[in-house]
Amino acid sequence: MSSWPARLRRAWRRFWVPPRRLRTTAVGRTFLVLTVGIGLAALNTGNNLLYLVLGLQLATIVVSGLLSEQALRRLRVRRVLPESPHARLPFQLGWALSRPVGHGFALSVHEMHPGLESAVGRLAWLPPGEERVVRAQATVGRRGPVQLTSVRISTAFPFGLFIKSRDLEVSDELLVLPARVPAPAEPPAPASGAGSEQRSLRGPDGGGDLAELRELREGEDARRIHWLKSAQLGTLLRIERDAQPHPRILLHLDELASAEALDRSCETLAARAEALLGRGAEVGLTLSGGFSVRPAAGALQARAILRALARAGHGASR
Amino acid sequence: MKQERLRLVLRDLAASAAFGAMAVSGQVPAWTVLIFALALGVALAGKRPLADGRASAGVLLVVVAFLYALVAMEQLDMVVAACVTAALLTAQRMLALPGPRTDGQVNLASLLMVAGGAALSADLLFAFCLLVYTVLAVLSQGLAVVADAGGRPPPVRVVFRPLVAGVILCLVGALSFFVIFPRLSWNVAARRGAASLGPASAGFSDTLRLGGVGVLKSNPRVVFRAELNPDPMRDRLDGYWVGRRFDTFDGVQWSARGPSTPARREVHLGPLGAGAVDQHIELLPAYGSRTLVGLDAPMVFSAAQTHQGNYSSRTDLVRHADGRVQVDGPGNAFSYRVSSMPERQVREVGPEDETRQLALPAKLDPRIPALGQRLAAGATTPRAIARQLERALQSSYEYTLELPGAVKDPLADFLFQRRAGHCEEFATALAILLRTQGIPSRVVVGFYGGERAAGEYLVRAGDAHAWVEAMVDGQVLRLDATPPQNRAAAAQGLTAWLLARWEALQIGWLERVVDFSLSDQARLADRFRSTGGTSTGSAWRRPDPGVWAALGALAAVLVAIAAVRFFLRTNEVQHLGQALARMLLASGRLGPDGWLDRARVSEPDLEPVRRGIARYREARFGRRHLEPGEGRRLLRDARTVLRAGPRSLPS
Repeated sequence: MSSWPARLRRAWRRFWVPPRRLRTTAVGRTFLVLTVGIGLAALNTGNNLLYLVLGLQLATIVVSGLLSEQALRRLRVRRVLPESPHARLPFQLGWALSRPVGHGFALSVHEMHPGLESAVGRLAWLPPGEERVVRAQATVGRRGPVQLTSVRISTAFPFGLFIKSRDLEVSDELLVLPARVPAPAEPPAPASGAGSEQRSLRGPDGGGDLAELRELREGEDARRIHWLKSAQLGTLLRIERDAQPHPRILLHLDELASAEALDRSCETLAARAEALLGRGAEVGLTLSGGFSVRPAAGALQARAILRALARAGHGASR
Repeated sequence: MKQERLRLVLRDLAASAAFGAMAVSGQVPAWTVLIFALALGVALAGKRPLADGRASAGVLLVVVAFLYALVAMEQLDMVVAACVTAALLTAQRMLALPGPRTDGQVNLASLLMVAGGAALSADLLFAFCLLVYTVLAVLSQGLAVVADAGGRPPPVRVVFRPLVAGVILCLVGALSFFVIFPRLSWNVAARRGAASLGPASAGFSDTLRLGGVGVLKSNPRVVFRAELNPDPMRDRLDGYWVGRRFDTFDGVQWSARGPSTPARREVHLGPLGAGAVDQHIELLPAYGSRTLVGLDAPMVFSAAQTHQGNYSSRTDLVRHADGRVQVDGPGNAFSYRVSSMPERQVREVGPEDETRQLALPAKLDPRIPALGQRLAAGATTPRAIARQLERALQSSYEYTLELPGAVKDPLADFLFQRRAGHCEEFATALAILLRTQGIPSRVVVGFYGGERAAGEYLVRAGDAHAWVEAMVDGQVLRLDATPPQNRAAAAQGLTAWLLARWEALQIGWLERVVDFSLSDQARLADRFRSTGGTSTGSAWRRPDPGVWAALGALAAVLVAIAAVRFFLRTNEVQHLGQALARMLLASGRLGPDGWLDRARVSEPDLEPVRRGIARYREARFGRRHLEPGEGRRLLRDARTVLRAGPRSLPS
């Protein structure tokens, strides 16, 4: 429950924002011109049948407003956000629409965010009591958290003369991960840029010493097969190594660099971290601002590092 | 695909209704009708030959330039040219590649045609076409908008439900706007338009030639309407509407010549006395003549107005020597007042008139005077002779609309060969027979009868008639030799009934819509004010108790329907739950507690049962109502699988 000054501020903002927005289509503009023309002709000539046609046109405009309002009322929307969208890579943005009663027709949905307005999801029919998910392809230019505050739902129903829109306040955060770039061939020198690496890998697979060979069981990774011994003995043998700890690497990011340099560093570090994690290394991250991700291996660690890199420079929202 | 086809058919039919709204005026050139009909046929067949619209748009541009060149040369009316342009544009768009944008263009071009029709026509058929256009255009446009949204389109009936409500609201709104929109132009009478479909058909001309066409008799078009005071209050008027009189016969045709008087606002043909009948007559565009008509013996013509285009104006009247009165100047329609005396009270005739009314054709068949002598045998007074000749012709000759073809002496042919003819031949024969007996006579053409509708008398083209006026004892004696059953229009039975209903609608349309004026608005406002109790309300008539009863009954029916629907919906949900529980209990899949959620229905082939339970829960607790008949279907499916399903229950 928010405080009454906050509620008052929201009410004040709502007061100045029209509840619905109306935009005329090309057909609608021609229709309006025709309405004015026929109205003038009726006034000029006193022809009652022209008055009748004019009345029909005016009624059509009113009915258009009523039916479009009916199509937009009682709508509920829930975002269906992607797990790990990367900057500069297209991803699917989704909205789950529903309404308890009444049908919705010819609906289009988009975010009220400058970078995402071009991603428009369309839905011909929303039956009552059902949830339908519409998706649109979106692209975000830079990494970082994107605060999504409201969704605009529009309809041209019933006559396509006007597009009526309604804004629904739904707050979510879309965390855009750094853009995907090729991983650098060599680890960067500690002083060469905003990011650095404290320790390099020893072995190609990050494993320890050879402990034993045992028969490969069903479902085990074929990459661990010792092909020479397997060929000699005529059965597939798997390499078992000592439980030696994986190489541990701590990546460092200097958040004080300029925005563009920081973005580039994040992208490079993200690529490096993914490559290292893919080879079994334990990778950690420290940021100059004090935030850190403890070294660990696996897919979840990759996600944690990428998310931390996405937030780097955006301080407050960690 | 099926839905797209439906949308296009609706769109094309809407366009054809809009074209009809324009074409009922009868002013659209025939070649335009032909082109549009062709385009409509091709479009309805699903062919779109003008997918690349550039070439056809170029041709269209050339045709439009040609049309407006004709307008500049005053060869074509501006409004007609605009209508033709709209029709050609619509046809071109109908044959273009379909799509939501094209649909919008077709509907907008159709709207232009409707507006053109409003400018050209005042016919009731316009209202019908407007109604059809509105319904079809709204439905097709709604389908187009939904189709444009992409994805799987909803079932047609789901989209049609709000659209039908939209159509009804549009029509109610149109009428409301029509009534309340102030008539700022003060032009109280709208354009009468042209004679609608087909040519005008009053049948008046400077001469009356025997052997003329008799098809007028079966023409049902109303040519004028008249309000009488005092009103005889008869369904069928037994009256003669005098148009013009002919007194010179050359053996084949009748004529009347003489100088005309200068144009005046009022024309007096004789003195008015007691028993005069006042008439307010409106000659409709289908009348097609400027000759005025009046009941019995018209005496005073006045207050003539001509309705031309979008305006009405006072006009002068011209009296001709034969007694014919005409409007001075052109017009689509005319209205005027006329006061008439009963014909028996009229005295005539000057000596020069009597000479003309006794003249016989130079080459009169000698058998005709002999026939007159024979038929008049026994009668002693001129009046008796006249009546005897009238009766003889009525009883001895037959009525027919078949033409004699080219004959040298049509009168002799009628009297001695065919012994059958129509009203002109009967009237000619009687007039000449009277003259052979020394009784002055002349032939009168006009109309006979009139049907009562909405407090007025409607006279059709088929009521055109010819009869005789004889001068007996210084008075005019009207004689009609045509058999009484063949005097009025030929339409009978169901046709006549339908025509009467149509005409009543037409009158209502003209009075309540076409002629709706600022004064009508003022009266309406007065009514509302008086119902508020601020006025004594002399003009306000309290609605009939029957009206209140009908409104009450309607409200009761609506409430009952709503209640039944609510009850059925609730009841259907309960019935679904109870029936499912019974079935599951009987099959041993439900515990004694009766909770459907705990039913053992996990086998794959029991999906219909699970669906039924889920829908029951949604309808009962989730406000997702059952569709009509859905409960029945769910139960049927569940019953089928439970009967056919495995007997072994899951542990």
